[in-house]
Amino acid sequence: MSRRPGILMQILQYVFLAFMTLFALYPIWFVILASGRVGDRLYTLNLLGMFIPTEFTFTNYQIMLGGDPHPFLSWMRNSFFAAAFTTVACMMVATSAAFAFSRFRFYGREFGLVLLLAIQAFPGVLSLVPVAQLLTALGLYANVWGLILAYVVGNLVFTTWLLKGYFDTIPIEIEEAAMIDGCGPIQSFLLIGLPMAKPALAVTALLAFMGGWGEYVFASVLIPAPDAKRTLMVGMYSIANAQNIPWGLFAAGAVMTIIPVILVYTYFQRYLIGGLTLGGVKG
Amino acid sequence: MVSWSGRRKVWTIILFIAPTLIGILLFNIYPIIYNVFISFTNRNQYHPNPDCSQTFTGIIEPSCWPMFKESSGVSEPYRIQDPPFANYSALIGDLFSGPGMLAMGKLFLLIIPLIIANQINKILDRQLTRPLPSYLVWLGALVVSALLAWLLDIKTVLDTLQKSGDFFVVVFRTILFVILTVPINYIFGMVLALVLNSNYIKGRTFFRAVMIIPWAASTMFIIMSLVWQFFFREQGTVNQIMKVFNIDPVRWLSDPTWAFAIILLVNLWFSFPFCFNIILGALQSISADQYEAADVDGASYWQQLINITLPLIRPAIVPAIVLSAIGAGGFQMFGTVWAITAGGPTRGAGMPGATELVMVYAYKQVFQVRAYALAGAFAVIIFIFLFIATLYSLRITRITKGAYE
Repeated sequence: MSRRPGILMQILQYVFLAFMTLFALYPIWFVILASGRVGDRLYTLNLLGMFIPTEFTFTNYQIMLGGDPHPFLSWMRNSFFAAAFTTVACMMVATSAAFAFSRFRFYGREFGLVLLLAIQAFPGVLSLVPVAQLLTALGLYANVWGLILAYVVGNLVFTTWLLKGYFDTIPIEIEEAAMIDGCGPIQSFLLIGLPMAKPALAVTALLAFMGGWGEYVFASVLIPAPDAKRTLMVGMYSIANAQNIPWGLFAAGAVMTIIPVILVYTYFQRYLIGGLTLGGVKG
Repeated sequence: MVSWSGRRKVWTIILFIAPTLIGILLFNIYPIIYNVFISFTNRNQYHPNPDCSQTFTGIIEPSCWPMFKESSGVSEPYRIQDPPFANYSALIGDLFSGPGMLAMGKLFLLIIPLIIANQINKILDRQLTRPLPSYLVWLGALVVSALLAWLLDIKTVLDTLQKSGDFFVVVFRTILFVILTVPINYIFGMVLALVLNSNYIKGRTFFRAVMIIPWAASTMFIIMSLVWQFFFREQGTVNQIMKVFNIDPVRWLSDPTWAFAIILLVNLWFSFPFCFNIILGALQSISADQYEAADVDGASYWQQLINITLPLIRPAIVPAIVLSAIGAGGFQMFGTVWAITAGGPTRGAGMPGATELVMVYAYKQVFQVRAYALAGAFAVIIFIFLFIATLYSLRITRITKGAYE
């Protein structure tokens, strides 16, 4: 708006911004503070200690990285493994489907696209029992590959829709020109479609990776035990649900889990916001 | 339009789509069919095993398939319920009996003023000059609704319905949650976007970068929810701060109302960056000319907000609102509640807790009570509702527009 707001209005706006900044940052800041405190010292904080690191040690980080009592690095490796393979597999499967839905005209195309979205409405929590049984039958229960399989399909619809939307915006003339020169559909997909969709591929890959990295419910049911095979979220949840919760350890683990993600998000901020309009499909 | 002719085309399409279709069939369609089937049986913790001699059971249960055949347990297998809809009627309880129907009718009466207001607004929109602005119509409708609520003694009506069974309690609470959480999230996002869209605020880049942080953290909602839970524990941060100011500690998570409010607060933390970015994007696409013209005509800030800004960002935010409402941050909320209250605090044995939203209820029925069949029936009802809501939202948002070109 072009007019300069009154002085009172401006003060009000800055107060609101300060409040929202505190609201947005405090939980993260608190985790960083807590990660530097030993044992149950969190319960005896003074007012100053809640906002400023009056004491800070790296003991919690050492314990967490040392692998005893919690195999934190194994959890991290499992989560990274699951998220990375989910991303790769999901991109391979979804890009080809998205390309087909965008470029080919075939019977049942519109119906298929809408159906994909509508069956997504079935609550994931409730498909867990049949999925777990299916994976048991396939011998993939309590196995990271079974989890990856479930994640890939869980991400498929969203990824397909997002990429289909992007393929639609790529002008078709280049492919038509290539077709006249004798380019087949598979070549057209690999040599023209994929390179041109790079920005969308990057955003969807990032979202798929983050989805796998932070997922909890499926991981908790599909890989219940042993401790070393769990994923990061399930492991962290188990720390926080123990008797006499070691909050310092939990916070140190949380910092090591969250800070990389925040850095990645800040770096890719612009692309992520660009992908928002279709990102809304995920809800 | 690209078209590769001949038989090769069919095979190409199959090659491109088959992996997706197989995945969807196995992990999306199969669970739906399975759940529908289970919802007609009496499968629970006492009858967990299938009877593989039944043809249909043998097909649908993976553990009955010849190559995966396992030694099934000793307990009696589950059977089809008699009557088949027994789970559904157990779930819904006496919602459809005389008093239940009457109470639901009264509840529905409350919505009628809002529907009328919507129609009046549509009619007024078609006229050249509006005799009264739309927010006054809505305000009037709300007053009439409140008056009706008082006249019909809505508290006893709700009590009657709450006694009818878990289904109403859980669904009503979830709808209440959605009605509260979505406007809260979008109002905060909207005010923030309006403030940060102004040219006179310094450090806008910094503030925008800050607001991305909860969004990034929301991908790991379990961890951040546990942090929030720590704030509101009995010896948690909030109570410690209150102690400094000599305020008596509150048992936040043991109090039904507070627990519900805390879930709303945490969901706000997770969701407002998304709302903020959506609205900011929409605001930035409005051309400055419109405001300049309005300034020349002497329109005040509020007049500009209501007559220019809101109508112009509407197309961008309505789809986002609808999708938030039926998505994981609204009707299908699970992770945050599970980590913070796990559905509690409970009000009595066998009754759903104060923050037990539909997904939490379903999860508990499956993994704690092991009432698979009942949860299946619940899933089917919720699925029908969400299926319709999704199709409706597709129509509103026109997200499928591209599919029909």
